[in-house]
Amino acid sequence: MEKHRIKEILNKTVNEYFESQDFNEKANEDTVLFGKESVLDSMGLVNVIIDIESRFLDEDYEISLTSEKAMSRRNSPFRTISTLADFIGEQVTENEEIDE
Amino acid sequence: MNKKVMVITGTRKGIGRYLSEYYLGKNFIVIGCSRSESDLKHEKYEHFCLDVADEKAVNKMISAISKKYGKIDYLINNAGIASMNHSLLTPLSVVEKVFKTNVFGTFVFCREAGKIMAKNKFGRIINFATIATPLKMEGESVYAASKSAIESITKILAKEFSTYNITVNAIGPTPIYTDLIKNVPKEKMDSLLNMQTINRYGEFDDISNVIDFFISDKSNFITGQVIFLGGVSY
Ligand SMILES: NC(=O)c1ccc[n+]([C@@H]2O[C@H](COP(=O)([O-])OP(=O)(O)OC[C@H]3O[C@@H](n4cnc5c(N)ncnc54)[C@H](OP(=O)(O)O)[C@@H]3O)[C@@H](O)[C@H]2O)c1
Repeated sequence: MEKHRIKEILNKTVNEYFESQDFNEKANEDTVLFGKESVLDSMGLVNVIIDIESRFLDEDYEISLTSEKAMSRRNSPFRTISTLADFIGEQVTENEEIDE
Repeated sequence: MNKKVMVITGTRKGIGRYLSEYYLGKNFIVIGCSRSESDLKHEKYEHFCLDVADEKAVNKMISAISKKYGKIDYLINNAGIASMNHSLLTPLSVVEKVFKTNVFGTFVFCREAGKIMAKNKFGRIINFATIATPLKMEGESVYAASKSAIESITKILAKEFSTYNITVNAIGPTPIYTDLIKNVPKEKMDSLLNMQTINRYGEFDDISNVIDFFISDKSNFITGQVIFLGGVSY
């Protein structure tokens, strides 16, 4: 799966979440998801992560954002949409290699 | 889909097998699992062969269910193993096995099913505790400790999941005659039954009675509770 496609899915999912919460925000790759500057509170982040996992599942990509890898990185992969896209990209590539 | 979808772990035999048949009888779709194949054949029953502590396999099972049915209404974390032995004679490998099945298995099913339930803003989770924990039974330190962990998971997930309209409760059975306890000496069983308020073995329908209560539509104000059978309490 191409990186721009991953970002597209992330933007769409996050925007849908913003809409559902009546947030006046539009997601782009620099949107901060995690940390002090994030518009999401901790429950918001959990909800977005659940939505993202299930969105990728719809596309037949099984990704897991609750991995130890994600938790142990110094720079959280959840920081922005862009860093999250990189992190998901790694998993998607691993899966594609296994399938081949 | 208006049919109820129930996931039960450890359905090959014992209490899990009984519950599968009982809820199939109520016209639920039942999806079960155990390490070995099941001989339960029913058009609304589906079986997955997996170890509940195998995180990847559980993820796959729950994804498959989510794709096929789009929801999980009820999760019954019944799969469990016991170890009855003096602590001085218990190898660490046994401790590990018991914790993997009982604690890790319960946790990973709660997490994965919890995600699907959260999306649908509905879910009922029932975990399995035991009276061995409140009764502090000798010879069951490892088993009771693993179930004690399940009680903690139950109570804390109840809080974490409450915003999604998911309730999380547990049942703590007394001895019920299944393979799990068939090797326990009779004297030990008798002394155990004597510690209960009502001194008899549990029956399968004592279990389904409590589960029926937890999953009832009217029980949406009941969460984080552990109901012990036989009048046992802390
Ligand atoms: N019977 C009692 O007196 C009693 C009392 C208190 C609490 N409980 C609790 O009630 C629950 C059910 O017990 P039971 O008496 O029905 O036991 P059981 O007759 O021994 O059945 C256990 C079931 O769990 C499955 N299982 C075990 N380990 C598994 C694993 N790692 N992964 C997947 N499936 C696994 C078994 O199938 P496979 O072997 O094919 O995997 C079997 O279907 C347990 O949680 C137990 O602790 C029972």
